[in-house]
Amino acid sequence: MPIAKPAILPDHILSAVLTLAKRAREAEASARKRLAFRSHDFQLQEIFSDLQKTGKYPILDAFVFSDSGPERYSPALNESVSKLQLSGLIGRENPDYEVVFLRPAADRFFDEVLSSRFSNDLDQLGQIANEFLQRVEIIDNVG
Amino acid sequence: MAAPTVPVTLQERVNTFVEWLFDDYKATTPKGPKVFNDALLGNLLFAQHEVAVIDCPLLQRLRRIKQTGLVYYVFPSATHSRFEHSLGAAALAERCFDAIQERAAVEGNGISVDPDRHKGDLAHLRMAALLHDVGHGLCSHASEQIYELLSDLKEFKNIPQYATNAPGEILSYLIVLSPTFQNWFNEHVVRDCHANLDLDRISKLILGKHDDPDKYFLANIISSAYDCDKLDYIARDSYYCGLALTVDLPRFYSMISIAKYKGYRVLVLRNYVPLEQILFSKMTLFGSVYHHQKVKCLDSMLRSMIGHIVENPDQASLPARGVNVSFADPVQYLYVTDDEFFCQPAGFGDDYVRSMLNRFRHRNLFVRCLEISRRTVKNWDGYGRQTLNDLAKLPNELSGVEDEIHKCLPAAFRGKCNKHDIRLSIPGLPGIKTGNALIQTSKDSEIENIEQYFPLEQWTDAYAHNKWRSFLYAPREIAKAVRDAAVSVLKDLCKMELDVEKSNQTCHL
Repeated sequence: MPIAKPAILPDHILSAVLTLAKRAREAEASARKRLAFRSHDFQLQEIFSDLQKTGKYPILDAFVFSDSGPERYSPALNESVSKLQLSGLIGRENPDYEVVFLRPAADRFFDEVLSSRFSNDLDQLGQIANEFLQRVEIIDNVG
Repeated sequence: MAAPTVPVTLQERVNTFVEWLFDDYKATTPKGPKVFNDALLGNLLFAQHEVAVIDCPLLQRLRRIKQTGLVYYVFPSATHSRFEHSLGAAALAERCFDAIQERAAVEGNGISVDPDRHKGDLAHLRMAALLHDVGHGLCSHASEQIYELLSDLKEFKNIPQYATNAPGEILSYLIVLSPTFQNWFNEHVVRDCHANLDLDRISKLILGKHDDPDKYFLANIISSAYDCDKLDYIARDSYYCGLALTVDLPRFYSMISIAKYKGYRVLVLRNYVPLEQILFSKMTLFGSVYHHQKVKCLDSMLRSMIGHIVENPDQASLPARGVNVSFADPVQYLYVTDDEFFCQPAGFGDDYVRSMLNRFRHRNLFVRCLEISRRTVKNWDGYGRQTLNDLAKLPNELSGVEDEIHKCLPAAFRGKCNKHDIRLSIPGLPGIKTGNALIQTSKDSEIENIEQYFPLEQWTDAYAHNKWRSFLYAPREIAKAVRDAAVSVLKDLCKMELDVEKSNQTCHL
């Protein structure tokens, strides 16, 4: 079946990182059932650019960043955010849409599709998720 | 006719194309400058060396490529071409350049740019705008969506230098830097028209780059959130589609300035309203025109033909002045323009290609069999949409799903159609790259990203939620059977449960 092929796209990596970040927070306190964080797209660009520059996470090379101009910018990351939004795996909070939250579908997508595709990279993705949590402003008063 | 030996690299194949294009061209030096009367922007004055480039086959070829691909089947006035858009982009690049100079003088910002039309920064800027679309091929973005997924260009996109560039921009860059074009340009433009222009600098501007950080804003004029390309096509496409959208270009230029940002002198806006207007117009164009269900149907039918030709090159390829075009690699899309593809009196290729050309000739289009949207997907909160959207980036997998639907048809229907007759169209979200959209409300205030001023994400979220729709298309005579087969295939492969009754309300089956 064509869908069963283990193709890995950049948005799969972003989705896996966000899901593992959510689970890391759940592991700290079981009452936390939802991941929500404050971030515009340009701030996500900064975070993932910094993480990629460390060289510790080769899986992030899928987000190719441009090397010219005042800021590094990855169209693949921008498209990944759009795609996860379009697919209903992430959402935006009213009123200013600055708050991004993970929808339950992301959990199911991770368990049923991504976890097997990333079976060799789960440690790396987990470390990225932890670093990600340290770099974003988590919103605790939701979910 | 034997296919030519395929050169190894994309650059070499691009050069072979340019050689082919210039093969029978005898350039004559233009007598002088020329004024072009543009329906949208009025009288546009081009210098002698620019006229030489406008007259050359690279630009003349763009007359035969429609700016909005197959949109004119739905919006009949949208027959404007890449050619007039290129002229418009050059004119708007200069207006932007002038506006920056004027504001810099008023605000007391010292900028050092050379406004000479034959050798200075302005000359390079205008030439880059003029040449920025020479990498467009058959039906513009309709075919770009197909060839961008071919391995050559995907490899280029993995190089940081090209990461932000669209496939057509990369091909334009490679064409401008091809040895054949460089030789022609140096002889007929630099030498004969006395224009001291550097193609290396021009090609970098096409990619939105500049070696001098103090002149980086010149690259922003060619490629950014509010570049001359966007300003022209949003205004031009809405004008020719008959949509009453407001793109207040004079207001926009009155609000543009430059500022030092992280070591680079970049374009900034003094007020976000003109940009908001541009982005709103862009979203409206996506919803009303580019993603119109019939436009997506036409794009899908083009993909049907190209898919068939790629799989059957011996019998279905298109002869184009000594080259057999089989659309196997991105450069092959450059050999054919819209006119040459659709206007062959006897058609070309095999029976399927001829029957499809006939469909275009008589506007006998495929119909919608199934709508996939918030309205019709019962388990909308599941991850089925993600699996579906993955297909848009994985052409082999998408073809696999379409083949699977074809296989699931009852034998009587399967015999009536070609497997390429079943097309699943999965549009993305309108691309709004805001990485370089910066606001500085006054000369000394902080420079901020546009997202801090108004919620662009809200727009895309609303679009994803309310406007986004995928459709399955097929010929009318098999539409119901295709719908029934697809419902079961999409449930198995994409975990999507579709409400056929609701889908029928829009698909009229």
